[in-house]
Amino acid sequence: MGSIANWVTERVPISGDQLRELTNEPVPNHLKRWWFCLGGTPAYLFVVQIVTGIALAFYYEPSTSKAYESVRYITEDAAFGWYLRGLHKWGATLMIAAVILHQMRVYFTAAYRKPRELNWIVGMFLLVCVLSTGFTGYSLVYEQLSYWGATVGANIADSVPVVGPLIKTMMLAGESYNEHTVPRFFVLHAAVLPALIVLLLAIHITLIRLQGVTEFKSEDEEEGKPQHFNFFPDHLYTELIVGLVLMILLSVLATCLPVHVGPKADPLVTPEVIKPEWFFYTAFRWLKLFSGTAAVLSMGFVVFLMFCWPFVDAWIERKWPRKNLYAWIGIVAVLAILGLTVWEAAVAH
Amino acid sequence: MSLKAKQFIIAILGLTFLASLVYVQRMEIVRRQEEAGLTDPHISVPASSAQCVDCHNQSTPGIIDHWEGSTHAVKGIGCVECHEAEQGDADGFEHYGHFVATIVTPRDCARCHQAESEEFERSHHAAGGNILASLDNFLAETVEGSRVPFNPHSRTPGRAIDKVNGMASAFTGCMQCHGSKVALLGTDGGMITVDDLEPDADGKPTNMEAVARISKDANGKPQFHNGTWPNTGIGRLNLDGSRGSCSACHSRHDFSPRRARQPENCGKCHLGPDHPQKEIFEESKHGVAYRDLRDEMNLDSPDWVLGEDYSQAPTCATCHMSGHTRNGGTITHDPGERISWTNRPPVSMVMDTDINGKVVKEADPAEREKQIVDTWEAKRQRMKQVCTHCHTQAYVNGFYEQYDDFVVLYNEKFAKPGKAIMASLRAQGLITDTQFDEEIEWTWFYLWHHEGRRARHGASMMAPDYAHWHGMYEVAERFYQELIPQAREIAEHGRENGKVAEADAVEQTIDEILKRPEHQWIGDAH
Repeated sequence: MGSIANWVTERVPISGDQLRELTNEPVPNHLKRWWFCLGGTPAYLFVVQIVTGIALAFYYEPSTSKAYESVRYITEDAAFGWYLRGLHKWGATLMIAAVILHQMRVYFTAAYRKPRELNWIVGMFLLVCVLSTGFTGYSLVYEQLSYWGATVGANIADSVPVVGPLIKTMMLAGESYNEHTVPRFFVLHAAVLPALIVLLLAIHITLIRLQGVTEFKSEDEEEGKPQHFNFFPDHLYTELIVGLVLMILLSVLATCLPVHVGPKADPLVTPEVIKPEWFFYTAFRWLKLFSGTAAVLSMGFVVFLMFCWPFVDAWIERKWPRKNLYAWIGIVAVLAILGLTVWEAAVAH
Repeated sequence: MSLKAKQFIIAILGLTFLASLVYVQRMEIVRRQEEAGLTDPHISVPASSAQCVDCHNQSTPGIIDHWEGSTHAVKGIGCVECHEAEQGDADGFEHYGHFVATIVTPRDCARCHQAESEEFERSHHAAGGNILASLDNFLAETVEGSRVPFNPHSRTPGRAIDKVNGMASAFTGCMQCHGSKVALLGTDGGMITVDDLEPDADGKPTNMEAVARISKDANGKPQFHNGTWPNTGIGRLNLDGSRGSCSACHSRHDFSPRRARQPENCGKCHLGPDHPQKEIFEESKHGVAYRDLRDEMNLDSPDWVLGEDYSQAPTCATCHMSGHTRNGGTITHDPGERISWTNRPPVSMVMDTDINGKVVKEADPAEREKQIVDTWEAKRQRMKQVCTHCHTQAYVNGFYEQYDDFVVLYNEKFAKPGKAIMASLRAQGLITDTQFDEEIEWTWFYLWHHEGRRARHGASMMAPDYAHWHGMYEVAERFYQELIPQAREIAEHGRENGKVAEADAVEQTIDEILKRPEHQWIGDAH
């Protein structure tokens, strides 16, 4: 064993002590609470998405003429295809839910404040990338709803003043849905966006390591007791438990609520009801409430505000110190998001 | 939480996850077994139809049994998905919390099976209801029955019958194959059909006065006119403006693809003295092979592609509708897509069809060219693609030459002359405009409608006995021994009654026909 260790150390000059220091950073006690694991959850699900996505790509054919049939083949004919597609679909749903919950946890614990403003912005970019991956993935199935969802999405982008038509053309690879649209969505979904997510995740985690995790002290914590615990094996075990619970949950969802194939896309027949995936319900309902350009601009402004929030919050804190206005703003925003989502889910049109 | 506790939880969760993978493996095995037909498929009753299944399991268990054997049941398509009606539908009614309609029309099936529905709509099958204005229907409604009810002329012991429904033969005979014009019962006792409801493009009635007249029972369910429903005729004229009935071939409620692939399914209508396609098939070598090898024909296969899933023998579906290796396994629901002659009318015509799928009758070549959208040659080529799975190109070409020669012989020697003699008699006023009131009209009808079709269909599907003894032999006998003598006799009567010029014209027509080389064998005897 010693000779093997020496052989490896000669070629990878990192000592055991350095490795232990690197992997065994003291973890603040508050991370023993489960809801603080929501940052690791989307990263874990992202790995599930990559693995299942690669397996699906073995069979998926990204062309307008073959996409639907290949999805049908995966779902109905290929060995374990239904399971892999179920894992991928439910993994996407859970991943987006986890990202949103993680962001809410960061927001309500004000973990975005100085010196972590940039990491919040990186997180916002991650959110946009994850939602875009969900949107492009949904469109790859080439079902009626996914086709019309993509068309409506492109038309919404078209309402953005000045650059709207360009965005629409870039999205659809033309002025309308055509034979180049599905390949474009596939490249975005399977290559560009995952690569961006990996890059942003690397920056996100690096910044966390450089700045350290925000430390919270709970009221019931006893004085004199250690403030930290070991990453290995304590925290790793916790993450492992979260990972296993997620895999079991995904397995149950994929088997009990299997994914089906809807009617094939028909450009000549507009479905009576067009709905995007649930994570766009808020935006969709908002767009229905106001006229095209006004709705798009206001939505854009809200997203811009979210990106800049650490700086806006700092200004609010300076203006009205110790009032915790950010928390009230957060509660109103969450209630609004929930309200719009439930509203859109509850009505047919 | 202690490290020990965490390790314990990880072990339990790890085992649970492994168990879930074992369960997934089990599901995959079950799925494969179901696909291979080794086990009964798993039935999933959708929540929307759970109540229907519970109730109808008691009231009409056969329906539920059949449905449980369907692909619909496996895929989670329940009662509501097909029977669901929309507010405003003429035949919709509230039924235990669901707004439903009794009749499922092709428009309803098209919600999921759009391409199939469009193919069907182009087909001659979908136009089967046009018989309502045809010679056949005059026979059933007037000659065999009566368009108005009449009183019985004597008592029927044990039954108090006060009215005879003269349409019974048409309702029970013609329309059960060709399709009825579905009618709701009006509050005035009359019928309310698609003509009254005037449905829009979405199938919703636009004539509210007709809607207001619909008679409903105590539960608010619209009442059907019992003559027109039950009916699964293939060209049924539905209340929503759609034509046809998918269950004519895909029997409800199991909608079995296996059954639709078998000739017995087509044999509900394609049999008998006037179009015995089923009997003809049975006599042919195709039918003989089918009877012998049907158990090896993979009839339960999900796709059933000729050349991939089977090749032992063809059925009606194989040649006229099913997918095969040369067309990428594409099925059509328009059986006319591969037929090059129509042998339905008195004189066979080539199947050049227009944009509506109707046979082009135009004689002027330039005008004809403009109207044709799909040529008979293209249709024949499609059929040849099927044939050449088992026969060489030279063999198939040879068969088609024999078939063409046969049809042309029938057309030129008997059909066109017979038609000319009948036209001459009518033009000269020696027979009335009323059909079937003279013996010669029955003779002519037998000649082309029964014997002529038998001969042509026999030739088209390689059944020599039907082509000859049940076909051309009887056509010839009917022509020489009945049609010609009867026509001459009518002319003679006309001459005796002072219609000398008219009689001469008819005689001249007959003489000119019989002087032709193909008729000279009979000499002056006629």
